[in-house]
Amino acid sequence: MGDDVLKGNFQPARPVKVEAAQETLEDRFEREVKKKLGGSIAYVAKKKIVWDVKE
Amino acid sequence: MAKILLINPVVREEDVPRHIPYGIALLAAIASRDGHLVQIYDENAWRRGEDVVRQVCQADDWDIIGIGGITTTYASIKSTVRIARELCPKAVIVMGGGVLTSLPREMMAWLPQVDVGVIGEGFLTFPELCAMVDAGERDFTRIDGVIARDASGKLIMSKQRELLDDLDSLPYPAWDMFPLDIYFANSQSLFSEEGMLASRRLDINSSYGCSLICRFCYHLGIAGDMRYETNAEGEVEVAFDKPGNYTRAIRYHSPEYTVRMVKHAYDKYGINFVGFLDENLMTMDQYSGRTWMKEICRLWHEYGLAPKKNPDGTWTGVHWSGTSHATLCTKEILEIMREAGCSHLVYGYESFAPHVLKTIGKGATLESNIRSFFWTLDAGIRPIPNQIIGFPVDDFESLRMSMSAWKRLGIQVKPHFATPYPGSEWFTVFRKSIEDQYKGDLEAFIVDLGDASRISAVISTNFNAIELLGLRELMLMDDQKKIDEYEKVWRSNHNIPDGQPSTLVPSKKAKGPRVVTNVSQLNPA
Ligand code: B12
Repeated sequence: MGDDVLKGNFQPARPVKVEAAQETLEDRFEREVKKKLGGSIAYVAKKKIVWDVKE
Repeated sequence: MAKILLINPVVREEDVPRHIPYGIALLAAIASRDGHLVQIYDENAWRRGEDVVRQVCQADDWDIIGIGGITTTYASIKSTVRIARELCPKAVIVMGGGVLTSLPREMMAWLPQVDVGVIGEGFLTFPELCAMVDAGERDFTRIDGVIARDASGKLIMSKQRELLDDLDSLPYPAWDMFPLDIYFANSQSLFSEEGMLASRRLDINSSYGCSLICRFCYHLGIAGDMRYETNAEGEVEVAFDKPGNYTRAIRYHSPEYTVRMVKHAYDKYGINFVGFLDENLMTMDQYSGRTWMKEICRLWHEYGLAPKKNPDGTWTGVHWSGTSHATLCTKEILEIMREAGCSHLVYGYESFAPHVLKTIGKGATLESNIRSFFWTLDAGIRPIPNQIIGFPVDDFESLRMSMSAWKRLGIQVKPHFATPYPGSEWFTVFRKSIEDQYKGDLEAFIVDLGDASRISAVISTNFNAIELLGLRELMLMDDQKKIDEYEKVWRSNHNIPDGQPSTLVPSKKAKGPRVVTNVSQLNPA
C-alpha cells in the first residue's frame, strides 16, 4: 500500500507526485563516458559549466 | 499507534543503489509488528532530490521521522533533517545507525534539528521510543540507549542499552516496504560468475560481531564494541576499541532462523542470490565450535536452496556470498560452503608484508593469507582479496612485498587507503592528527568520507596523501622502476641512507628514535 515512492502499511494522507525518471540521451551519454574517463576519453559535463564568459 | 516515516539516506552516490538497508528494514518490521503506521522513503533508491523529500515530509502528519545509516550518509542526513524540521515542526526526529553512534555528542551538536539519537542497536530502543511518542510523552532519556537534549538544551545520554539476546525473536526485514524492482535491477554483484549473473538478490544478516580487533575497523556499536565511559569533565561518552581495551559480544541467529528466512525470500520474491552482510562468518563458525556454518549449509540443502545449474549458466536455488577470515576459515568448511552454493568470499588480506600484518590487529599472517587463498580457490569459491595501503607502518618494502604477492597470486586490485573512520581504534589514536588535517573541523572530515579508495585523512607515518596516490598508481601499473626512483628521492628528503629500512618508524634496534610522534601510540599486536 502507499504511494509509489512511499511504501508502508497504510495509505498516507497526501500523495507524493513523482515524475517518471526520464534519463535524457545527454545524461546517459555522460554517465557512460564517465566510466571510461582517461587518456583520450574526455568530455564536457554540460550542466556543470559555470564559467561566465562576460566575467 | 504512531505515524512513522523512515528515510534511508543516500549512500555511495557514484554507484547505483544495491543494498536494502537491513537495519531500517528490521526497524520498520518491528514498528509494524507493534501496530504502528509505517512508511519508508528510500531516498537512496529513488534519488529524486529535494522536491520529493519535501513532498514526502508533507505526505502525512508524522509523529516520528527516523533516519540513519553508516558514517558516509552524514551529508545526506544533514540536508534531509533540515527539510524535515522545517516542514514537520511537531514530528520527533530520530537519528540512529553507525553515523550517530560513533560520535553522538558531535552529531547532536551539528544537527540541532534532531530530537533524539539512538546509540548503537535499535531493536529495543526504537520500539520503546515509538511507544513513548505514541503515548504523548517526550521524556526520551527515560529510555536506555538514547541521547537527547534537556530543557536547557544540554545533551543527556541515558544508560547504555543492553544488546538483544534472543536475536531469533526479530521479525524478518520489511523488504516489501522498499522498491524491490530498483534493487533487483541492480542485483549484479561483480565478484564471481554467479554474482555477475544474479538477477534477484537480497541481503541478509545472520550474526553480529567479530572476534578480531582490526585497528581500522568500526562495528557500529552493535558488536559489543562500545562502552560508556565518564570523561575528566564528568560527562558520559561512548568509547570504542583503544590500545589495550577491546570488548566484543558475539551473537548469531540460529541456522534455522537464517535459512528459513532465505527460504521465505525464495518463495515470496523468487530470489536467486543472497549476500550475507555478516562482518565475519568465520568468527561465528569458530565461536560455535565449528557447528554453525555447517548447519546453515546442511539446512540450505534440506530446504531445497542449494543451487542446481541449468545449461545456460542460470540456476534454480540460491547462490550466496559473505565475508571470511584468513586465519579462522578451514579447508573443510570452505568445501561444505561451496557445496551449498557459496560463490565468493571477501577476505580482508589488507597487505602481504609480515611487518605490516603484525601491526593491524587482524590476527592474520602472510602464511594464513596465502593458505586461505588457495583453500578457497580449491573449494571452487572466488576469494575477493581486499588490499589497503597507507597503514601507519607501510613503507617501500611493504608495498613491494604486496606487489610481488599480487603478481604471483594473479591478484588484480586497486587498494583502499587506510582510513580512520570514527569508531575505529585508529580514529581514537589519531584523532588529533585527523583534526589537524582538517584545520580543526571534524565535521569537514566526516563530510569528506566516502569509499576508502578515496583519500581523506592520512595515518601513514611514511607517506603523505600525494605520495600514497602516486604510489598506488605505480603499484597498479606494476612500475617497480619508478617506485625505486622515487624511493631515492624520498630517502634523500628524509635523510635515510641506503641500506637502512625505508621508514620513519623507529626500529626497536635503532639507537635513537627517528622523528615519529603518532606511531609511538600504536600497540603492535
Ligand atoms: C551493507 C553495507 C554497506 C552498503 C550500504 C549500507 C546501507 N545502505 O545499509 C555499502 C555496500 C554501500 C557499504 C559501503 C561501505 N561500507 Co559498509 N557495510 C555494510 C554492512 C555489510 C552491513 C550493514 C548492515 O546492514 N548491518 C546490519 C544492520 C542490522 O545494522 P545497522 O544498519 O547498523 O542498523 C542497526 C543500528 O545501527 C540502528 N540503526 C541503523 N539505522 C537506523 C536508523 C534509525 C532511525 C534508528 C533509530 C536506528 C538505526 O538500528 C539497527 C538495528 O540495531 C556493514 C557490516 C555489518 N555487518 O554491519 C558494513 C559497514 C557498515 N561498512 C563499513 C564501511 C567501512 C564501508 C565503506 C567505507 C567501505 C569502502 N568500500 O570503502 C563503504 C562506504 C561507501 C560510501 N561511499 O559511502 C563499516 C563501517 C562504516 C561506518 N563507518 O559507518 C562496516 C561496519 C563494515 C566494517 N566493520 O568495516 N556498506
